[in-house]
Formats: sequence, structure tokens, C-alpha cells
Amino acid sequence: MEKYFDASYLWGAFPMLIPYLKVTFWVVILTVLFGTLLGFMLAAMKVGNSKIARKIANGYTTVLRCTPSIVLLFLVYYGVPALISNIGIDINDWDKIFFVVLTFTLQFGAIMSEVIRSAYESIDKGQFEAAVSVGLSNKQAYWRIVVPQAFVVALPNFGNALLELMKEGSLAYTIGLIDVMGKANLIIAGNYNSHALEIYIAISIIYWILSIAIEQFFSLLEKLFSKGKQVIKSV
Amino acid sequence: MSSQLDFEFLIDTFFVALSGVPIALLITVVAMTIALPLGFLLALTRINRLPILSQFSSVYVSFVRGTPVIVQIFIIYNSVPILLEEIFQKYDVGMKVYDVNPIWYAFIVFSLNTTAILIEVFRSAISTVSKGQLEAAMAVGLTTLQAFRRIIIPQTLVVALPNICTATVNLIKATSLGYAMSLHEITLRAQVAANPGYNYVEAYIDIFLVYLIICSLVEFLFKLYEKRLSKYKLVIA
Repeated sequence: MEKYFDASYLWGAFPMLIPYLKVTFWVVILTVLFGTLLGFMLAAMKVGNSKIARKIANGYTTVLRCTPSIVLLFLVYYGVPALISNIGIDINDWDKIFFVVLTFTLQFGAIMSEVIRSAYESIDKGQFEAAVSVGLSNKQAYWRIVVPQAFVVALPNFGNALLELMKEGSLAYTIGLIDVMGKANLIIAGNYNSHALEIYIAISIIYWILSIAIEQFFSLLEKLFSKGKQVIKSV
Repeated sequence: MSSQLDFEFLIDTFFVALSGVPIALLITVVAMTIALPLGFLLALTRINRLPILSQFSSVYVSFVRGTPVIVQIFIIYNSVPILLEEIFQKYDVGMKVYDVNPIWYAFIVFSLNTTAILIEVFRSAISTVSKGQLEAAMAVGLTTLQAFRRIIIPQTLVVALPNICTATVNLIKATSLGYAMSLHEITLRAQVAANPGYNYVEAYIDIFLVYLIICSLVEFLFKLYEKRLSKYKLVIA
């Protein structure tokens, strides 16, 4: 076992990997931004009055939930340029991060639409009616009464979705994006495929620490906000 | 890359992809049969705060949930063969490590992964069943084993079922990563079929359809079973 496992490779990997966290973070940040927007749109379709819109949004969510990320990633990476080349625009050599963000936006949007919908529906309709009855406009009632309460409900699910996204984001290396995972594979290739285990252990430690940090951050936020929630309940 | 879809290839490859379904389902079934009892037992150790086992399972859950599946696959795929080689050499087993079917590594990875997820599922489900249920069962003279089998587990199952369904669907989706272990399941088969003609778009549409069909079917079956169980829940209530 000694000659296979060399801990110095493990420690040596960290300084090489950590600069590439930047790419991973960019993917996550952009995806959360666009994905949440898409999620809001889908959630609005789901709780809206139009039957067709509701069917489309629910169908979209089911389909996306049943697709493995890696399949969706390849489908977008090969399919979107082929689709767009029909109208005469060539996007084959666009930066790979574009395809990665597009893929995970589609997926994150589906997850967020469920998170937002369930949070919205968890707020009693009476809250909105009460707000309107004391003279707030519809918009004010939503922004000041319904949204803050729904936000607290959505927070833990949002944290879970974010964690999933970060972990699934590691698959971006398969289309050649150099993020932490991509760099790890490059390092292994540079070592002529030896000492792969040490590098993979290093990367699992990086992901583990990040996950724990995100988890702690969200449980802190939850505590912070649920304080306000109890005040609302007791009044 | 042609901008027109090759429909003939699309239909042919659909059946190629479909031929990978048994392997994906086999992995799912094996992983679930190992993970369900193990997850339940480890969840019990966490609830009862058994000294060493409970710390172990909490670190284990945190690690598995905190790292991507693909990294777990690579770790197992790069470490288990080395260990096996040592063992084979030591005991003079006349077998090469490279002859071991990668499906065995897939069993290990996905069982370990699903166990961790099910620990969390069962932990939250068991804690919804009140302690009085167990005490009442004991009071009427059931043994602990009987009390669990007849009283606690059925009630836990009702609560846990939707989450077990999600875990199963995620597991089926995760088997698509088996290509990293050169496992000939749905994704790899279609990819290989696409290689000669660069028909990747068609191949991925096929893979996408196959996963859509199996996952919808699994979800549908769970819904049916849930209906049957929730009838049972009414009786309890």
C-alpha cells in the first residue's frame, strides 16, 4: 500500500486546486441568479389561473427532475449549437461556461419552482386578505406580508438546492470546463494517471468543507429569521 | 455536425440505450436492498445515541452528502482495486484485478451513497413516530423485535415513502455516472453507438427519453404503493 499512497501528493494538490474554486463559484452564482428567476416564472405559472400554463410548468418540472444532470449537460452542449446553427449563428466555440450555466439554470429553475411554490402555498391566504383589508394595495400586501414569510419557509430548501447544485456542478469537467474538478483531472493526467486517489481525496475534502460551510450558514440564517417568525405567531 | 436529425439512427440507438436498462435497474435494486436495512439500523443508532456508531454515522452522512457522487465513484474506483490486488497476492487467488466486473464497484459506491441518504430519511421518519407507540406495544406484551416489525416500521414507512421515492429516482439518475467506471449501462452504450458518426445529439435524446420513461414509471409505482399504505395510515389514525 505504501508505494501507491503518497500523502505529499494530497497536500500538494490543495494549492493547485484552490485557485480554480473561482470558476466553480462563478458557475454557482450565475446559475443561482438565472435559475431563481426561471424558478419564479415557473412558480407563477403553477399558482396562476391559466390551466395550460400550469400544465406546461408541471410537465417541465417532472421532465427535468427525471433527467440526470450529465445527460442534460451533453444534450445542451451538443444540441443547442446544432439547434442555433439552423438560424445561421455559430456558437460552437463559445466559452464552455455558457453551456454549463445554461444546463444548470434549466435544472435549478425546475427545483426552485417547487421550492418557491411550496413556500408560497404554505402561507395562509388569510394573511393576504387581512393585509388587503387593512388598506394595503395588492403589491404592498405581497411584498410586505406574504414574501417575507414565504422567504423563511423557503430558506432550508433553498440551501439544499444550492448544495445539490454545487455538487452536480462538478460534472462540468466532462465537457472540458476547467473548474476544481477539471483541474483535478488535469493534475492526474499530468502525473501520468498515477496518484489519482490522493488528488480525489483532496478534492473531496474541499467539497466537504464547502458543504459544511454552506450548511452552517443556512442554519444560522434560519435561526436568525425564525426568531421574527415566532413574534408574528405570538402577536 | 449535421443540423438535421438522423431519425433512423435515433430509433436504432433508442433500443441500444434500452438494452442498458437492466444493468441500471440491477444496480438500483442491489443498492436499495443493501441500503434500506443498513440505513434503518444506522438511523436507530443515531436516535438512540449509541456511543461510537452514532458519531461514525453522523460523519459518514456528512461526508457522503457533502461530496459529489462522481468524486465518490473515483475514490472507490481508484482505491478498492489496489486493496483487492494486495489481498489477491497475499492469499494467492489466481485472479487479475482487471478481470473484476466494474459492476461490483458500482454496487459498492451506490450502496454506500444510498445508505447515507436513507439514514437521514429514516431518522426524520422515525422521530415522527411517538415514543408512546413503542411503550404501548411493549405494555401489551410484544417483544422489541415484534414491536418494531408490527408497530413502528409500518408507521415509519408511511412517512418515509415519498423520500425513499426521491432517493430511488436520484439513484437511477446517478447510475448514469457509471460510465466513469466503464460500466456498460444506458449512457455509455448510447455514447459508444454515437461515436462512429458523431450523432451525439440523437444519442443524448435517446438517453434522455429512456431515463424519462424509467423514472416516471418508478414514480408512478411509488405513488400506487403510497396510496395503499396511506389507507393503512387512516386505520391507525
